[in-house]
Amino acid sequence: MKQVLHIFAKDARHFWPEILVSLALTAAFARLYPYQWLVASVTGFGYGAVAGGVLPVLANALVILVPISWWLLISRAVHGERLVGNTQFWLTRPYEWKNLLAAKLLFLLAFLYLPLFIAQCLLLAEAGFHPLSYLPGLLFNLLLITGVLVLPLAALSSVTSSFAKMTLVLLGVVVLYGGIVALSAGLPSDTTGSVASPLGGHLALAIVLCACGTVLLLQYAARKTLHSWLLLVAIPVLLCAIAIIDPDQRLMNRTYPRPAPDAAAPVQFQYLPNQFQQAITNTAGDSNHFEVDIPLRVSGVADGSEVNPEAVKVAMEAADGSHWESPWQAVYDQRLLSGTEDAKIRFRIRREAYEKFKSMPVRLHVTLALALARVDRVTEIPLPASDFAVPNFGVCSPRTGWFKEPGEIIGINCRVALRQPKLTYVSVLWSKTSCSASQPEPSSGVLGAVWVGLLDNDPAEFGITSVWQTPLNFSNIWESYQKGSGPQPRQMCPGSPVTFTQYSLSGRTQTDLTIQDFHLPGLAIGDTFLLRMR
Amino acid sequence: MNPAIRTQSLSKRFGRTVAVDGLDLAVPDGAIYAMVGPNGAGKTTIIKMLMNIFPPPAGHAEVLGIDCRKLAGKAFSRIGYVSENQEMPEWMTAGAMLDYYRPFYPTWDRALEQQLVRQFDLPLKRKIKHLSRGMRMKAAFASSLAYRPSLIVLDEPFTGLDPLVRDELIEGLIERAPETTIFLSSHDLAEIESFSSHVGYLEQGRLLFSEEMSVLSNRFREVTVTLDSPSPLPENLPTAWLQPQTVDCVLRFVHSEFDEDRTPRELAERFPTARNIAFDPMPLRAIFLAVAKAGRSRASSQQESINVKENAA
Repeated sequence: MKQVLHIFAKDARHFWPEILVSLALTAAFARLYPYQWLVASVTGFGYGAVAGGVLPVLANALVILVPISWWLLISRAVHGERLVGNTQFWLTRPYEWKNLLAAKLLFLLAFLYLPLFIAQCLLLAEAGFHPLSYLPGLLFNLLLITGVLVLPLAALSSVTSSFAKMTLVLLGVVVLYGGIVALSAGLPSDTTGSVASPLGGHLALAIVLCACGTVLLLQYAARKTLHSWLLLVAIPVLLCAIAIIDPDQRLMNRTYPRPAPDAAAPVQFQYLPNQFQQAITNTAGDSNHFEVDIPLRVSGVADGSEVNPEAVKVAMEAADGSHWESPWQAVYDQRLLSGTEDAKIRFRIRREAYEKFKSMPVRLHVTLALALARVDRVTEIPLPASDFAVPNFGVCSPRTGWFKEPGEIIGINCRVALRQPKLTYVSVLWSKTSCSASQPEPSSGVLGAVWVGLLDNDPAEFGITSVWQTPLNFSNIWESYQKGSGPQPRQMCPGSPVTFTQYSLSGRTQTDLTIQDFHLPGLAIGDTFLLRMR
Repeated sequence: MNPAIRTQSLSKRFGRTVAVDGLDLAVPDGAIYAMVGPNGAGKTTIIKMLMNIFPPPAGHAEVLGIDCRKLAGKAFSRIGYVSENQEMPEWMTAGAMLDYYRPFYPTWDRALEQQLVRQFDLPLKRKIKHLSRGMRMKAAFASSLAYRPSLIVLDEPFTGLDPLVRDELIEGLIERAPETTIFLSSHDLAEIESFSSHVGYLEQGRLLFSEEMSVLSNRFREVTVTLDSPSPLPENLPTAWLQPQTVDCVLRFVHSEFDEDRTPRELAERFPTARNIAFDPMPLRAIFLAVAKAGRSRASSQQESINVKENAA
């Protein structure tokens, strides 16, 4: 321990300018980040930087600058007793490798983790959360930061001899990654947009943690630089392998088990053949794929339940025996409640497959991976004029606009601790008349609703901030800006009841639907995003 | 008594180049062993393997009874290592460096440290990066001698130093000699001749000889045979006769296996008509030059014969 402290003290003396810069940036981050919340509460820009002066811009910059300062700090600490080469002064001195490694860890603990932990606690307190209540999340976030930033940077430092060489390697990694992304975009593939198994993220994190940890141990214990490099190169290879294996049927079957034969289906789907359909493509981006919607009639969702189609797999078979099957693809923005009647399940198909099947009827077999949720808690809160806490959700603020009268609220911004909240359906009645004119009748309002949060999430999301902003973009927000189309809801008034319905995951399953005589729709070249909005 | 350093068939290649070729070496405890050889002979590679800076891929080596592959941590508290190309904590002052190293060594002698600082006239408040080459070496020596190591390993320690600094360092080293084993490499024969007790000669990764300095001096003689008439260089001379040449009536060579009793008798029998046979002791430099030239001459002869065979084939 004596040697650990001795080396630590030497490093602290040597690298005081780097430490000072990192501490100053972290302190500035903790001090300035809350300005973003103030800006968002006025303008509605969740990550607003236009209004509010230079401070929110600086806060945004600090989100990048703080990790850059860690990059320098980690490099300097490791390269202080560099592990590559054969002329280092410490190699023939009585350094115990375990003590050296422990000293470097202590250095990071003191000048990276501790300041970050304090900054995150301060942010939580500033946002209205009690930091000690979020201790597991804070520690999990530190684990994520370790896996995503600290360990990879430390491992890279341990196989390079200087900050400049490490930077070159990092640039090389960025260029390589860019090249792979560019290459994969140009390749004809069905896997784009494939669903990631919940297991995949954890597995990837575990691989990075294990591999980088092993590299560090290998370097400090034996300075096996070649072996370490091979191990580092193996990380992206393994991650790519996971990405490919991820949509594999077996993994999906495990995550979304098929229901027992006698079990009641959580939802029934029926194909709506007469609905207007178009296959769409985004000419500005990937023109090798088309997106096809399958219009469905929905029934059978129990009261108090929510069904979320998370992934779809499509198999197409023509009369001449030709066959095409998609991989698992993610499904977005489809949440089915007991009152939901229609849904559209969208899948991607390669241009060649589309051209082949477009002129013939096909037998379409659709497999949906479903997440099932049940209402966990309902909280109704009369909308106050200032910040209000929503139990098990976060702290929310009514959002006013620049051009609104005092008291008129055009939205709600929420701050959540460490991660997205549980899946929540937020609804509120918007007033058609001015709040100041008279107390609006509750029945005269227009329902605005929004889904936020996730069904299953980790104790924390990766990020140096401990407080995330969740702007509630209500379903009628766009209508309120349209002109000349009759009376539109204008704003929420103080006292309007806001309902937060929180859901908990009750299970996952698969369901199948076979459409005997399916015709691929005609092609509309356009922008996918605009078509979706309309 | 166990040797301080012992190697068996120690080998190392860099790609296709053989840097060390089956080295068998024993450095007796308490010796001042100088390993000499031309640049590129493999001296630094051997030392780096001994110090486990890179582990030997083949063969075996022990340093102070420890397998060199396991040499790490505490074991270095008994070893002082100084190398001409070793890095130092440049940002520290010389004083701070000594302060930093001190707690690593249980046997650090504060009084000896101060003595060395005085002896070397070390500027304690100056940063290492601002020290001259000589001063850097002095700082390295002070930081490697102050804990009274059982073994001092020096890799080309005096290269590029002015004679004054060299003498100061050698003096400091000799003062430590009674309590330690010193193993150093050098390509400068003059600098080690004055104080080494043992010497090994390395060429192209192979140890050509390794023995006590006095034995070596006794073993080599420059032999001058004055014949009664001019004659060509005789054929089939013994391999122990290095660099034989004749000028008129005089045959000269270096005898590498000189024996005070046997050699004069043998030569008298071989050259019965010789008018005079003289045996002159040789300085170390002359011995090494003779050995080196003979080695190169042998190597080129072997290469020539290989070429001839290849051409014939």
